Amino acid sequence: MGVLSDLRERLRALVFRGRVERDMAEEMRFHLAREIEERVRHGATPAAARREAQLAFGGVEQWKEVTRDARGTRMLEDLVRDLRQTWRGLRRSPGFAATVILTLGLGIGANAAMFGVIDRLMFRPFPLLRDPGTVHRVYLQTTYQGRNSANTVFPYTRYLDLQGATTRFAEYAAVSEWRFGVGGGGEDIRVRKVAGVSASFFGFFDAAPALGRYFGPAEDVVPMGALVAVISHAYWQGDFGSADVVGRVLKVGQLSYTIVGVAPVGFVGTVSGGTPDVFVPITTIPANLGPWSAGDYFTAYNWDLTEMLVRRAPGVSVAEASADLARAYVRSRAAARALNPRVLADSLVRPRALAGPVKTAAGPQASPEARVLLWVAGVAGIVLIIACASVANLMLARVIRRRRELTVQLALGVSRGRLVAQCVTESLVLALCGCFAGLLVAQGSGVAIRSLLLPEGSAFNLADDWRTIGVALGLAVACTLLTAIGPAVVATRTDLATMLKAGARDGGRRRSAFQVGLLVLQVALSVVLLAGAGLFVSSFRHARALPLGYDPRPVLEVISDYRSPTMSEEDRATARRRLLAEASALPGVEFAAAINSGLFRTNTAELRVPGIDSVAGLGRFNFQMATSEYFKVMRIEVLRGRGLEADDRAGAPRVTVVSQAMAEALWPGRDPIGECIHVGLGQAPELGLAECTTVVGVAANTVQQAFADDPMYMYYLPMEQLAPELTSTMLLRMSGSKASAEMERVRLELTARMPGDGFVVVRPLQQIVDDKSRSWRLGATLFAVFGGLAFVVAAVGLYGLVSYDVEGRSRELGVRAALGARPGAVVRLVVGQGVRLALSGVVIGVAIALAASRWVEPLLFQQSAWDPRVHGAVAGGMLLVALGASLVPALRSMRLDPSIVLREE
Amino acid sequence: MPPDSTDLLQGTLEMLVLKALSLEPMHGWGIGNRIGQLSRDAFEIQQGSLYPALQRMLRKGWISSEWRITENNRRARYYLLTRAGRRQLDTETAAWERASTAVNGILRARLAEGG
Repeated sequence: MGVLSDLRERLRALVFRGRVERDMAEEMRFHLAREIEERVRHGATPAAARREAQLAFGGVEQWKEVTRDARGTRMLEDLVRDLRQTWRGLRRSPGFAATVILTLGLGIGANAAMFGVIDRLMFRPFPLLRDPGTVHRVYLQTTYQGRNSANTVFPYTRYLDLQGATTRFAEYAAVSEWRFGVGGGGEDIRVRKVAGVSASFFGFFDAAPALGRYFGPAEDVVPMGALVAVISHAYWQGDFGSADVVGRVLKVGQLSYTIVGVAPVGFVGTVSGGTPDVFVPITTIPANLGPWSAGDYFTAYNWDLTEMLVRRAPGVSVAEASADLARAYVRSRAAARALNPRVLADSLVRPRALAGPVKTAAGPQASPEARVLLWVAGVAGIVLIIACASVANLMLARVIRRRRELTVQLALGVSRGRLVAQCVTESLVLALCGCFAGLLVAQGSGVAIRSLLLPEGSAFNLADDWRTIGVALGLAVACTLLTAIGPAVVATRTDLATMLKAGARDGGRRRSAFQVGLLVLQVALSVVLLAGAGLFVSSFRHARALPLGYDPRPVLEVISDYRSPTMSEEDRATARRRLLAEASALPGVEFAAAINSGLFRTNTAELRVPGIDSVAGLGRFNFQMATSEYFKVMRIEVLRGRGLEADDRAGAPRVTVVSQAMAEALWPGRDPIGECIHVGLGQAPELGLAECTTVVGVAANTVQQAFADDPMYMYYLPMEQLAPELTSTMLLRMSGSKASAEMERVRLELTARMPGDGFVVVRPLQQIVDDKSRSWRLGATLFAVFGGLAFVVAAVGLYGLVSYDVEGRSRELGVRAALGARPGAVVRLVVGQGVRLALSGVVIGVAIALAASRWVEPLLFQQSAWDPRVHGAVAGGMLLVALGASLVPALRSMRLDPSIVLREE
Repeated sequence: MPPDSTDLLQGTLEMLVLKALSLEPMHGWGIGNRIGQLSRDAFEIQQGSLYPALQRMLRKGWISSEWRITENNRRARYYLLTRAGRRQLDTETAAWERASTAVNGILRARLAEGG
């Protein structure tokens, strides 16, 4: 009974709130009326009766409050009322609401997007991985001559060593990523991602095959595993139409495998760059690549073939696991040294091992993109702080304006706690709207960021991404707290008596130190971000404007794959020569050359130069081996002497062309033509070192190594002379200015000319160049976007504060005008204050930016973090914005009519 | 449910309301007036405090309320004792009597000893 009546009353209070309230008011009104009546009947005058009755009853509003408390629905009721009030309040000032929601939306959105991307790149465990907390990737670390390196790819022999010599692990797996031609019989050959994995790999997952089975240990043995393959679910659905493929033969690379199973939906393995379509035993990879590696890959240490995953045994800590691996690594190095005495002593390289994150982006040797991304995430965080400061300031200004209203509420008996609750509700509603807007922003921008960063084909859909949504909501709550503090403090600090007396005239119009602090913080942080943006954009411009020394735009890179392990070297050489000739003859192809390595893949060889003790001490010298048309294909200018020529073939005197930088480094002030270098290269390196290779030409400097500030020491060697069997890589110069349009035609024509199941892969050289500058492009884009965002947010905040300020001071300004102050003086006064505020923010911001330059510098390219132009431009820009933001309200204040302002209230 | 008479004053007020309503349904002012009469104005309470008490008692299910027309043809909210309310009144009366007997006994004994 009690429970039921309780529930009924509470529900009534909630659902029929209006009626319950009206009833209560009517009931009390009736009470008072009846009491007055009674007292009049006893002879009191009506006025005295009313007074006495009110005394006897007590404060009506207070008793109403206590009665409301007694309903037991206080919290909910208050919430509903606060929500209504918030809604009404915001509807009355849509501009304010829109500004706040947009500001918070951009701030939260930027962070949600960054979180979404970083989470996917670094933290989110691979799908279906069982107990991901215990799974690690093995990083082998060394420090040589002060330089740290962390290898995740190492010889298969080392994988076996580590597996054999460690005791703290429950599972081990080897993984090796490749891109192979998959399929056969002409057109449908596509280059696909293929993972060579150990049989133990599948045991790391809770994933039963969708069809058939995985391969087992008996099929993954040295020297050569069984030719069996597991294909991905997507590949199965897309290319095989979900047919029963078990038992079918699939040509992967050079070998034919039998499909034994299909991986389940969502199984991507542990490969970070896109899902492999085919999984084959890792022990079949060497044979697939050719006979040269198949014999000793499991006993020698000369081929970095595999990555390694481990699962810690129960109760083993990460530190113990790493120590166990480190011990095994040292033993493995000793074994390698026994085979090859040139393996450096442990004392020189300090070998260590780490059971680290499975995702390399979170590991010790993250890509520059990942590092830039972390920076940008920090930037997004700062944007959110700026947004919060700006919103807090706006809300503060708003609550200060409504101070008189608050005072009246307080006087009527509304508790201060209730006022704080109102402020918090308003902030919360705004922040949640902002959160929603933010998720929309994040969805939009996340897709863009993903295309720059995440492996192709990975989805970025926030609708079911609860981690990101959770983070966005958490941020919204944090924003609520941050933005509600100021208004809440004002609401509770309001002093009844003085406020009521003062009226609206100067109802707390004075700018509080808190507000000023917030504004200065905003400006300072915006300046920091803009400075960062400026530096990155400028870096990116430098990277783009860097003279490459060649023209990659009309060039296509062609890599041919004959897919025939039985082909003899002679046949292969003949086929390559024929293909090169045929490629040169293709319509649209101006020149073609074979090279031994693609752009940005360094090649070095032992180099000796008469008269110089240690060539290596001068820097790193890289070579490119190419056929005679190379300089024409790349359009590299030959400054002196001649380029490579068709006559530079086997048997002819050895020749080389060196880069200008190399010539200046080796023979400063001398004519390099005719000089002699000794290169330990070719079929007989010793012979090469003994023989003189004559410099016959000097070529312009080119950027062929990392984009880093590289001295560009390059030399070019004739391929026909040193490796007449040629290589699988060719460069074609197309007659149009953009090669990408011709790409598909060239691919089809050349693939048609390949024997058997052979095929070619074609890509524009420009793409390779673009990939190299990706981290700057990413940094420049995101920094510029966020810097701009911060700029806008700070400008809005400044404008809002100054205009509120001016509005509040209209009386003071009116008095000044009435006393004869000229309009110009008033404007100067207002603008001066705004600009002074901004100036202090700018000074602090520039100081922070300069202090942080040490950490930014490594991410920049030919750009000093102290560049006065960047900092000057940012400071100037910010001050201009401050000027504009204060000028508008100042001019508006000038139009005020003093007589009206003074008569107000 | 926690004991209802932790707060002596609140509990007492509620008991008086129950007692007043045990005679006939009444509106708020009437209840206050009746309590005044019954106690010969011994209880100095602000009349407004009746309403939170009535609200609590509604929730406890001791009373119910309905809008009626008064003898002077005005709308007023009348409160009625429910069966649960009557039971509560009986319990409380009994408890009160027990307690007051006990307290009286103690006080008299004290007086007798001390006197």
